[in-house]
Amino acid sequence: MYHATLRNRRRQGILASTLALSAIGLHAQAPPPAPTDFVIRNATVMTATHGTIDHGSVWVHAGKIAGVGPTVNAPSSAVVIDASGKYLTPGIIDPHSHSALGNDINEATSPVTPSMMMIDAFDNSDGALYQALAGGVTTELLLHGSANMIGGQAVVIKNKFGLSREAMLFPNAPRSIKFASGENPKRVYGGRDQLPSTRMGNFEIMRQSFEDAKNYIATQDAYQAKVVKGDKDAVAPKRDLKLEALADILRGKLLVQIHCYRADEFLTEEAIARQYGYKIRAFHHALEMYKVGDQIAPTGTAIATFADWWGYKDEAWDAIPWNATMSMREGVRVALKSDSNDYIRRLNQEAGKMIHYGGATEDEAIRMVTLNPAWIIGVDDKTGSIDTGKDADLVIWNVDPLSTYARAEKVYIDGDLFFDSSLPGFGTTHFHGVMHTSGFSGNDDEIGDGQ
Amino acid sequence: MKNFKNTALALAAITLTGIVTAQTPKFTGPNLTTTDPPKIIAITGGKLLTITHGTIDNGVLILENGRITAVGTAGTAIPKGAQIFDAKGMTVYPGLFDAETHLGLTEVESDENSNDLAETSDEIMPQMRVVDAFHAETVRIPVQRINGVTTAIVAPASEDTIAGQDALIQLYGRDRNAMIVTPDIALAMNFIGDVRRKGSGRGASKFPSTRMGLASQLRQTFLDAQNYMAEQAAAAKPDHKGPPPKVDLKFEALIPYLKGEKPVVLAADESYEVEVAMSIAHEFHLKVILNHVTHAQDLLDTIASYKVSVIVGSIYSAPRPNERYDAVYSLPAELQKRGVKIAFSSLSDGPTSDSRNLPYAAGYAVAYGLPYDEAMKALTLNPAEMFGVADKQGSLDTGKVANVVIANGDPLDVRTSVQQVFIGGVPIPMTSRQTQLRDQYLPLSKTPTPK
Repeated sequence: MYHATLRNRRRQGILASTLALSAIGLHAQAPPPAPTDFVIRNATVMTATHGTIDHGSVWVHAGKIAGVGPTVNAPSSAVVIDASGKYLTPGIIDPHSHSALGNDINEATSPVTPSMMMIDAFDNSDGALYQALAGGVTTELLLHGSANMIGGQAVVIKNKFGLSREAMLFPNAPRSIKFASGENPKRVYGGRDQLPSTRMGNFEIMRQSFEDAKNYIATQDAYQAKVVKGDKDAVAPKRDLKLEALADILRGKLLVQIHCYRADEFLTEEAIARQYGYKIRAFHHALEMYKVGDQIAPTGTAIATFADWWGYKDEAWDAIPWNATMSMREGVRVALKSDSNDYIRRLNQEAGKMIHYGGATEDEAIRMVTLNPAWIIGVDDKTGSIDTGKDADLVIWNVDPLSTYARAEKVYIDGDLFFDSSLPGFGTTHFHGVMHTSGFSGNDDEIGDGQ
Repeated sequence: MKNFKNTALALAAITLTGIVTAQTPKFTGPNLTTTDPPKIIAITGGKLLTITHGTIDNGVLILENGRITAVGTAGTAIPKGAQIFDAKGMTVYPGLFDAETHLGLTEVESDENSNDLAETSDEIMPQMRVVDAFHAETVRIPVQRINGVTTAIVAPASEDTIAGQDALIQLYGRDRNAMIVTPDIALAMNFIGDVRRKGSGRGASKFPSTRMGLASQLRQTFLDAQNYMAEQAAAAKPDHKGPPPKVDLKFEALIPYLKGEKPVVLAADESYEVEVAMSIAHEFHLKVILNHVTHAQDLLDTIASYKVSVIVGSIYSAPRPNERYDAVYSLPAELQKRGVKIAFSSLSDGPTSDSRNLPYAAGYAVAYGLPYDEAMKALTLNPAEMFGVADKQGSLDTGKVANVVIANGDPLDVRTSVQQVFIGGVPIPMTSRQTQLRDQYLPLSKTPTPK
């Protein structure tokens, strides 16, 4: 729809942000340097896909990881960053954030609002993004709130705080849509004496929505068939943004992210997905997955859960901190998420708790905040692990990131340094010190068609 | 009698854990029918963090009749008949002391019927006593205590200016009376402008709706109470004519605080709130423990000059946009550096107050500059001193109550698991509703298969 317009706006944004950087950046007088190579050496490299490499090296070329291992074949001209005694991980990825959306999280005027676009509310100047960056977070899925059964379409960002809105969008990220069920829609609409005030009402609304979507698809297909036949009198059906979004769910064009707590609801949600032929990408919260993980694992649906939150509402009453590890052992792909401007700043420690609760290995724990959330967002081919060819989204930590004592010292996104605790003056949101270690990487890819 | 007890326990076990243990009934719930702790317990081989006299490697700790009767090195005599806990490779430390929690005042937070958090019908409520609402059998307490929290100050929520009187509890005991160590141990007073009863801005149509109103109402209350005390004193004189003043529970409740006999826990966030609140406290000679001071970084020297202790309960609070990202994290270190005695509390502005995470707040303060030993003190001895119970609580010293924790590593680290907790010399059952759910569903898990 407004894809092309956005692309243009984004190009302008990149230009604007480049100018802005030359005004406020550390290299105020210098033009952005040409892409250079750099190598982080002697770090304990936690790769997320192939274990931990003691005294490992990572070579970054033009914003991508060009090599990783005990040694790498970087050119001699590469800048060397000595990370002796430090830990290196992929950037932390939060698959469930509401940062930078102000109060525009729920269009709570109707339980089905799939045409709402989070990008239209995205405020790139929100200091919460900087604070998350300081916690090593490089990618976030910004989701709707949970007032509505079908809330709307998410936005995926790279946490390049200080750059333009457009420059922060994750290039070519797939589109996600957020559903919610359970107490929140019940409370919001039941409180107004509207449908839904029960779980029965919740799921009836979803089924009716997909019946409407099927009908819409049938109308469009019928029109296409007429066009193919050469029927000059064929009248194009009226476009309806809401139905188009619902139809895209049935067409498999949207990753379905569902806010959902209880075991019975996972089973109902999967049954509805089977009935209408779409896949659920992840259950978010999913605090009772440990009860039915063996049944959900074969569907391929992942979970994005809390480490140890519980008891704040009835549907969180059976939450246990072993949920993530037990579900993982049952074969469910598990990510930890923040749902909070507070917890997003220390997701690494939430991962560390999984060693305590359920005996996750370090590898498993790190994956819960890197590769697994990347998969939920649909960007695991680009980020989420330290592998050759992936985006250079990296964090250098002072100590083991799974301990309580870890602080992010340097945070790279696409090879550029967006957080560096060694720089004078860093620390407040007024400080936009982007170091162009890899050349400005505001790449010119087309934006994901959801954004 | 003995047989009856065992049968009852076996039945309880079957009910609690269902089919899992039906074949091999064993006791898994708190043994609240036994009031006699094992007479003598010897914890041997562990690393003792004594708090008052350093670390003892391979130490011996003797618990006798609920008290610590010996703390020493490997050669320390073990009394005959002692039950021995081998703590080789483990860390042994005093039970943690949560300086502020709502344990026992709420069950499911979103369910108003289960909340006794604050009596919000008036702003000045010193006569409210949390002991009158304390729910000793709350499901929340076993969840917290098996992570090593043994002692806590239960405080009302902060909606009122004077919200009521706190109680000191120990987290194990057969009933309310056994768990309440000291009722009415302190007065909860809040000078937090933005969370005052009816909120700022909208809804603030009742007095007081401004900080001016808060301050004036507080002063008037203390003046009225002083007047009440004067009338009482006058009525006590032999030459007094007429009836004594009518008993007013509100003023009665304030007397020990106006006499400086007990501490007032005074919460304030911003610098100017701290200054105004402290000036009122000085005016009425209150004995103050400051709470929060979360956004008062420019006032830290002044706070040190007040010679008061501080509960740093909100270490995870997000900083203001004009503050450094790590301003709140480093607050404990900054206060300690200035000679201020600090204690940690689990109450933060997170979605659910989770007292079991108390040690991690202290660990986070260590990551941001607080010396380790000071962090341990701030979880044990310091709060005991602040609330006047350091003769009984807060360290591994002869004569103190035998609240002791054995863990498999550093207590402040999220990866550490607590192995055994002793409260009043009783090795408490390391179970909670959450471990029961875990054990009930664990058999569903497949053999560990790392992904």
